[in-house]
Formats: sequence, C-alpha cells, structure tokens
Amino acid sequence: MTPRSPGDVRNRLDFWQALSGACLALFICVHLVLEGSVVLSPSITNGIGWLLEVTYAAQIAAPLIVLLILFHFWIAARKMPFRAGELQIFVVHSKALREPDTWLWLVQVFTAVIILAGAFFHVYTVMTDMPITVAGSARRLHSGWLLFHAVFLPSIILHTGIGIYRLAVKFGVCRKSSRDRWRRAVWIGMGCYLALGVCALTRVWFIGC
Amino acid sequence: MGRKLTFEIFRYTPLDPASTPHMQQYTLEEHPSMTLFIALNQIREMHDATLQFDFCCRAGICGSCGMVINGRPGLACHTQTRDLQDHITLHPLPVFKLLGDLSVDTGTWFRNVGTKIESWIHTNKEFDPEAQEERMDNALANRIFELDRCVECGCCVAACGTARMREDFIGATAINRLARFYIDPRDNRTPADYYDLIGDDNGVFGCMGLLACDNVCPKQIPLQDQLGIMRRMSTLESVRGILPEFLRKKLQGCGHIEA
Amino acid sequence: MQTFYCDVLCMGAGLAGERVAVEAAQAGFKVICLSIVPPRRSHSSAAQGGMQAALGNSIMGEGDCPEIHFKDTVKGSDWGCDQEVARLFATTAPIAMREMAWMGVPWNRVVAGEHTYYKGGKPFQATEKAENEGLIHSRAFGGTAKWRTCYTSDGTGHAVLFTLDNRMLQLGVEVHDRMQAEALVHDGGHCLGCVARNLRTGELTGYFARATLIATGGFGRIYRATTNAVICDGGGQITALDTGIVPLGNMEAVQFHPTGTVPTDILVTEGCRGDGGTLLDVNEYRFMPDYEPEKAELASRDVVSRRMTEHMRKGFGVKSPYGEHLWLDIRHLGEQHITTNLREVYDICTHFLGVDPIRQLIPVRPTQHYSMGGVRVNKDGHAYGLEGLFAAGEAACWDMHGFNRLGGNSLAETVVAGRIVGKKIVEFLQGKDAGSFTARHMNAAAGAVRERIDALRRGTGEDCYALRNAMQDVMMEYVGIFRNGKDLQTGVNKLQEILERCKNMSLKGGGRPGPDGELAMALRVPGMVRLALCVAYGALMRTESRGAHAREDYPERNDKDWLTRTLAYWKEGDTLPTLKYEPATPFFILPPGDRGYGGGKIIPGESIVEDKLLPFGQDA
Repeated sequence: MTPRSPGDVRNRLDFWQALSGACLALFICVHLVLEGSVVLSPSITNGIGWLLEVTYAAQIAAPLIVLLILFHFWIAARKMPFRAGELQIFVVHSKALREPDTWLWLVQVFTAVIILAGAFFHVYTVMTDMPITVAGSARRLHSGWLLFHAVFLPSIILHTGIGIYRLAVKFGVCRKSSRDRWRRAVWIGMGCYLALGVCALTRVWFIGC
Repeated sequence: MGRKLTFEIFRYTPLDPASTPHMQQYTLEEHPSMTLFIALNQIREMHDATLQFDFCCRAGICGSCGMVINGRPGLACHTQTRDLQDHITLHPLPVFKLLGDLSVDTGTWFRNVGTKIESWIHTNKEFDPEAQEERMDNALANRIFELDRCVECGCCVAACGTARMREDFIGATAINRLARFYIDPRDNRTPADYYDLIGDDNGVFGCMGLLACDNVCPKQIPLQDQLGIMRRMSTLESVRGILPEFLRKKLQGCGHIEA
Repeated sequence: MQTFYCDVLCMGAGLAGERVAVEAAQAGFKVICLSIVPPRRSHSSAAQGGMQAALGNSIMGEGDCPEIHFKDTVKGSDWGCDQEVARLFATTAPIAMREMAWMGVPWNRVVAGEHTYYKGGKPFQATEKAENEGLIHSRAFGGTAKWRTCYTSDGTGHAVLFTLDNRMLQLGVEVHDRMQAEALVHDGGHCLGCVARNLRTGELTGYFARATLIATGGFGRIYRATTNAVICDGGGQITALDTGIVPLGNMEAVQFHPTGTVPTDILVTEGCRGDGGTLLDVNEYRFMPDYEPEKAELASRDVVSRRMTEHMRKGFGVKSPYGEHLWLDIRHLGEQHITTNLREVYDICTHFLGVDPIRQLIPVRPTQHYSMGGVRVNKDGHAYGLEGLFAAGEAACWDMHGFNRLGGNSLAETVVAGRIVGKKIVEFLQGKDAGSFTARHMNAAAGAVRERIDALRRGTGEDCYALRNAMQDVMMEYVGIFRNGKDLQTGVNKLQEILERCKNMSLKGGGRPGPDGELAMALRVPGMVRLALCVAYGALMRTESRGAHAREDYPERNDKDWLTRTLAYWKEGDTLPTLKYEPATPFFILPPGDRGYGGGKIIPGESIVEDKLLPFGQDA
C-alpha cells in the first residue's frame, strides 16, 4: 500500500463540503432573520438593505455566495445519484427500508437542484433591481415571483436544516444519546424559520397592494 | 390453531441455468415462539428442499442469517413471526454476491474489507511467554469489546444508501472495526496511518450520515458515533497544512476522550 | 477437479483450527483453512463464558496455580482423562491467555478495591489487590477450586475468534470458506489431504497437504435438543472414522449443559451460575443445595444436569407445551450486572424467549452441549493410525476432559491445544522432505465421493431430513442423560436400521446445480448415524457410570475394569463400530479418588504401582 499524501486534494473535498455547507447555513440563518425583520417594520428592513448597500457588503457578498453555492454543489455533487440507475436504486432502497433519514437524503438532493437554479435567479433579480427595498420586493412578488418563493423558501430551509443535522451526525456531534433532541431541535428550528418566512412574505405581499 | 403465515420468498440460483429470479409463495401454520429459523427450515424440510438459506448458531451470535425481512435487513434467527404481519416477504441481502435464494457471500466481502483496512493489531512488540501480560484499564477493555461485538452479518451494509450506490464503499462495519483499533493502546498506528486506510470517499468520507446502519444493527452497536469519531480524525488529517497545527491537535484529542 | 497444494490443511476454522493455522503460518508454512461457514461464524464464537487458566490475579483466584487447575480438571473428568495431557494443558494455559492478550483480546481486567460478588446467590464483599490492577481478571465456573475463568464480558469466544482471525488476515492465511470436507485422502499409512465439496458451486475440490488437521468441532447435531450450531454435525470425525484406521475416542462421553433454554435450546452461559444465579423448581424452591450441599449450582455440569433431571423426575419440574423444565434465577444480580456482564444472556432471553431476566425467571433444562469424544490423538495432537493427520479442539479426543469437561476448559483447550499441536505440526514438517503427491489416492477418494453423490441422485427412499430426524429421536429417547442397557440396546438396534435405510436415501429437490443445502445434508447423514452408533454402542458396552456417562443399571464408577478409554473403529461395510480399549492415562499424578461432588459409589481398582505414580513437576 502506498501511503496517501495528506495533501491529496480529493480527500479534502469532504472537509470543503462541510466547511462551505456550514458557511452557507450560517449565511442563510442570518439572511432569513434579516429578511424577517420586515414583519416588525418594513423600515428596519429597508435600513438594513441601505446599510449593506452603502458598505458594498451586498454587492460583494452576493456574487461570493453564488460562487460558494456553486462550489458547495460542485463538491457535494460527487455523492449525487447521477450515474445510470443510481437514483432508481436509491428510491427503491428508501421505499423498502422505511428509514426517515434515508428519505431525507433524497430531499437534500432535490432541494439542492432547486436551490442551485433558484439562487441564481434570486440573486440576479435582486442585483439588477437595486436598491434593496421592501417595496421592490413587493413589486417583484406581485409580478409573479410569489410562486418562486413558495418553492424556494421551503427548499432552502429544508436543505439548511437537514444539512446542519447531517453535519452534526457525520462529525459525531449529534450522538446516539442526543439524536432525538437534535432531531426535535432541527425540526422546530425549520418550523420557526418557515413561519418567519411566510409571515415576511405575507407582510411584503400586502405592502405591495 | 395459529395464524396462517404466507411467506413470499425471492428465488434465484445464478449457477442454475434453469433458474430465473422470481418470488415464490409458501404457507405455514404459526406456532408459539416461532422464529424465521424455524419457519424456513420447516419450508425446506416439508415443502421445498431446493430453498437455499444460511443459518449457523441460530442464536443471534454468528451473524450468518442476515436477510431482508419485509424490506429491512435483520437476522432471521432472532426475528419472531409473532412480531410480523401474516404476510412476510424475504429477500437476500443486497450488495453481497448472491449464491442462491436467500444465501449471499458475506465471507468473501468481509475478508476483502478486513485485509483492506488491515484489521489487526499493529505492534512491534514480540510476545514473551515468560512475561506478565501488559496491564490495561478494565473500562477501556470494555469499550474495546463494545466495538468488537460486531458479528459481521452485513445488515448495516445492506441498509446503507451509499453502499447500495457505490460498491467500493467499505461500510459502517469496517469503520467500526478500525475505531476499535483506534482506541486500543496495543495498536501503534497513528491517525495518519488510519487516514491512509480510510480517508477517502470509499472510506469514511463516503458516509452520508443516513443512520440506517445504526438503526438496523442487530447488536445495537453505536455505529454512527464511531463513524463520527473516525471522520473527525480523518478530516483533521486531511487538512494538515491548512488548519493551524495547534488547533488541529486540540480538535484531534476529542475522539479519544469521549466515545 | 481443481486441486490445491499446501503444507498444512486445517479442516475447520474455529478457534482450534485458526490457532494451529496461525502457529504454522508464523513458522513460514503455507496453510489453507477450510470452513463450512466464513471463519468468524464458527461455533467457537458462540462460547460466552470464558477460558480457564491459572493466572491467579483476582482475589478469588489468589494462590491458584497450574497444579490446582490440573487437579480440578482430573476430578472433573472423573479420572477418565489422560493426566499427562491435562498437566500439559494446565501449565500452558496461562501462557496461551497472555499470548491472546498480546494479539488483541480485550480480556476483562482486575479493578482494585472492594467489589460485591455473588456465591450461591448471596452477595459478599472482596477487595481486589492494588498491585494486580489491570491484569487479566477471572470469574467463577463450575467444578473449580478457584476463580480462574478469564473472560471478555460474555462474548469470550467471539472476542478470541475475531482476534485470531485478524491474526490470520495479517499472516495472509488462505481461507476457503463454504467448503465441506467429505473424505480424507490417504495411502493407508499417511494422510495426504482431503476431498471437499464447494458449497458455493457444488463442485468437488482436492487438497493435497503434508499435514492435515481436523478441527471441525463437535457432533451435537446427532441429538435433537442441542446447544450446538447447525454446522456441528461431526464432519471431521466422520472423515476420520471412514478411513477405518483412525479410531474415535470415548464417543459415549457426551455432556449435557444444565442451562439450555426452552424451547429454543440456546445456551445461557454457566457464568450465570458462576456469578450467583440459582436453579429453582416448580415451587420456586432452590433445590441444588439439598443434593450438593457444598458446590450447589456450581458442581460440575454432569452432576448438575443429572440432579436437575432427578428433581424433575420427582415431579418438581415446570410443565410446559415444550416439555418439563426448571427455572434459572438471575434477578437478584440486578439490571446493571445483567445488562453488562451478562448482556448476551439478556439478549437471548428477550429476543428468543420473550423473557426479561431482570424481572422474570428463565426456563432451562439440560441440553446436549459438548462432545468429550472425538478423533483420538496422542499428546502431540497426532492421530492414531495415520501419519500426518492431526486433530485439535472439540473434534479431538486429546484427552484432557475424560468423561466430563469443566466449563471454561474447552474454550481454553482450543487455543492451548492449538498452540501445542501447531508447534508439533511445525516440528513434524521441519523433520520431513517436501515429499511428492500422487494423484492416485486423490482420484480414488474423489471417485468415492462422486459415487455417493450419484447414489443419492438415484435413490428412491426417504429424504435426508426424515432420516436425520429419526436418528435424533433415537438419541434423545435412548441415549440421553441417564442410560440403561435395555434402552441402549434398543437405540443401537434402531440406529442400525436407520443406517440401512440411509443406503436408499433420496433427494427431494433433485440435486440442482449450484449450492444445494439438501445434498450437503444428505452427504452427512449416514456419517452422523455412524457417529451416533459409536456413542450408543460405546455407552452400551461401558458397564459403569463415569462423569457424563451415567448408567442406571451400573451406577458405580468402576476403576477396577473401566479406567480405560474406548476406541471406536469402523470397518468398511460394518453396521457397528469395533471397540478397543486403552488405559485412560499413561501414569497418575492424582490417583483415582472421590470428586467431592456428585455422590455415587466407586469400585476401587488395584492400587497403583509406584512407577506409575508421579509428582506434578516430574516427567515420566
């Protein structure tokens, strides 16, 4: 056996997948909270938008996030059932096994594809429609983007929530003894974020009336 | 008068040119304390002598009789029919090479993987028949045995989504085996050595955390926890030169202390 | 026919087979192991309790030494053992255990300080010494003066087997699993290998070897109620018996374990009683102290099994749809102890019986467990009659167990005998030229096996399962724990008749290509019936009671006429074995006396002449 060099790039992919995933999860959590501020008052959201714009944080971060998403997808895709028959095998396997965690992985795969496409459009429209304001969002919602958000938002939340849980499981942070607590916490967390997102969307929708 | 049980069993012998894959039905009357071991032997002795399956200890200790019972991998000998519906479907374990009907070749698979991960104590010490044994902490001995309890039935591999899609994946059982050596002070392998063995996508990085291995293990070995420990160790090895050394060392210690 | 060549061929890859293979491979010889199942599934893995070795690290084993271990073993054997071999075993056992620790067995270790232990169900305190902290610990087993059974929780066999198999991987020993040996290849004086049937493909395979080892375990499956695995059908003993030149020793010595569970016959370890479990009758009364005031539940297995049967015959058994049984009570040991030290027991009770041993009683009855008899070998493990044929472990009659083996002695025997016989095989090979193999004997042996398979395909009579069941019923009914001349004669007659019926055995499934479980069984059944006849006929002719062999019509142990070992030969075409006898031991270290448990009268033999009596530390 020839020892593997510790610097072998391919064997670092798992690390980069985890790290990029963790960064994206952190971003999503912050992003959704900031967006959610509209529930309290649209002016807070507008203020945050203004702040991010004048500091150029938004203009710099947005393309970086897109790149990070691409990077994360590109690495994680090596695990995806692209090869012939793999998806079918996995679906049959999941059906027979009746294991929730096995099903959740399929959810990860499908939401990943949705997010990849969705993130691009989302960032593109926001970036070409500066400045970032609640009114702008409302206008977009009424011009047909509501459906997009109705799919995109749950996908993001599911993917992030399951991703965090999976990360904790894979790295042994979530252990057999604490697994039930983790599951409950993640589902509650996802529920809260979804509720916040729905409230925010509703609020913005009615502002646009 | 017990229930009438219907068994739907996968039949196929690859070496028999006359055989084609199909499901075959058998009916039996249920008796108290009936296990699948008793049921399958009754079918073979009374209904169909050509049915192939593997049993050995019939006490849940040897791991011979892993099969897919109503969709889930498990040991047939300690599955009682009273815990099942009256329609029971049996398939051979996937991933492993099919020999005939419910019998699969786990032996070759496990030997290959055992050789691949060098499943033995690596030591430079010679055995000295005159000397007293080296001392060991009893709690540590118990922890090692806890991981050594794996019976290599193959259920965790059959339940693993990764193993189903990627045949080179070594599975939870192999990583658990290495975790056993990792905590054994008699084995002088370093994290770098373990990383050489399992630090890739066919090894510990192939695990997607689907947890089915953990849930189907008939010995209730905390497989996913061991995967976590080994993954952390391997990941930290993989980022040698990226993460500052002091941080790496600090993070690396944690696998040894807990568990 | 595919043919393999090797220096050492191990038939069987359980503990004994692997230990020999490791020894030979370490010496640089090419070894091939054959096994019906993948090696880690061997029945050795099911041994829960432990291995006896006089390490004397624990406080309850303090002062232990090989001599005390030796004496316990001889008493356990009811003076039926070879005392030279028993001494060799007792002195080597501690080394073998330490060697296994070096290889990686996670033996339980001594923890210094005060601990609560149980004896006869009563707790007591003992303080483990600080200077022994971390050394190999030991637990109590039946029939021993000291606590000397080394263990890893209750998976000792499993842990040692996996460790040895790891060592096999390391040494690169070839393992051919799913191979069933059908016949030895020999030229009338030398063993040349064997013919095996591949259970994957159904094809015959030839193995030429300079040394062949039989390590195929016991033959418990000749009984219906047995704790043995389904593969323990005596395959190795059958091949030896079929040569007509190699005798089987003491086949009538069959051990019944006191605590086989009802109805599945799965064993729960003697460790239950060693750790303080008690036996109760239908009134939940602890009866063993009435029979055995001193040792109670921890008398040797033959004694406890007989006392249990006796008590049930008096009407104190618990009636159940699966027959009468008694209770094993471990409730007082507590949840913590049961779910850690006796976890395998806990699993068996909950999974197979639906009983929670923390709160409920476990239904048990004596169940066939161990075959003291087997391929008769000398102290080097070399079989009588054929040069180059060796045997070790339960398959052999090495003979350290005599007419009853102690709990924890058989598991220890596997690695101790494996170590000793392995070294002797290495010596044997080093003293010999490479030698040449001629195909003539191989072809003859393979031809005979082929002819048997063809005969089965032509057969029109009963199928193998019906004949096997008939044999098992005879053994249960007439050759059980208590034996008498009338029943044994009936048993022999019935078995002879079954052997005759075997000649026209048929295959219900027709014998299809590929793995064929029915054919594998059909090839075994006639041999199993011959083994059964060796047991029944040997028991009929032995007109005394010794160890596990209990004759109601001859209740005394007869040292005058029967301080002997039975040797059973099978001449081709015969329907009964030819029995010969040899002295039980070449010399005495411990002259025949009272075991101290079990009761029973002894007909003393002539006093032993001085040159036959040796001190423990002196060679003959």
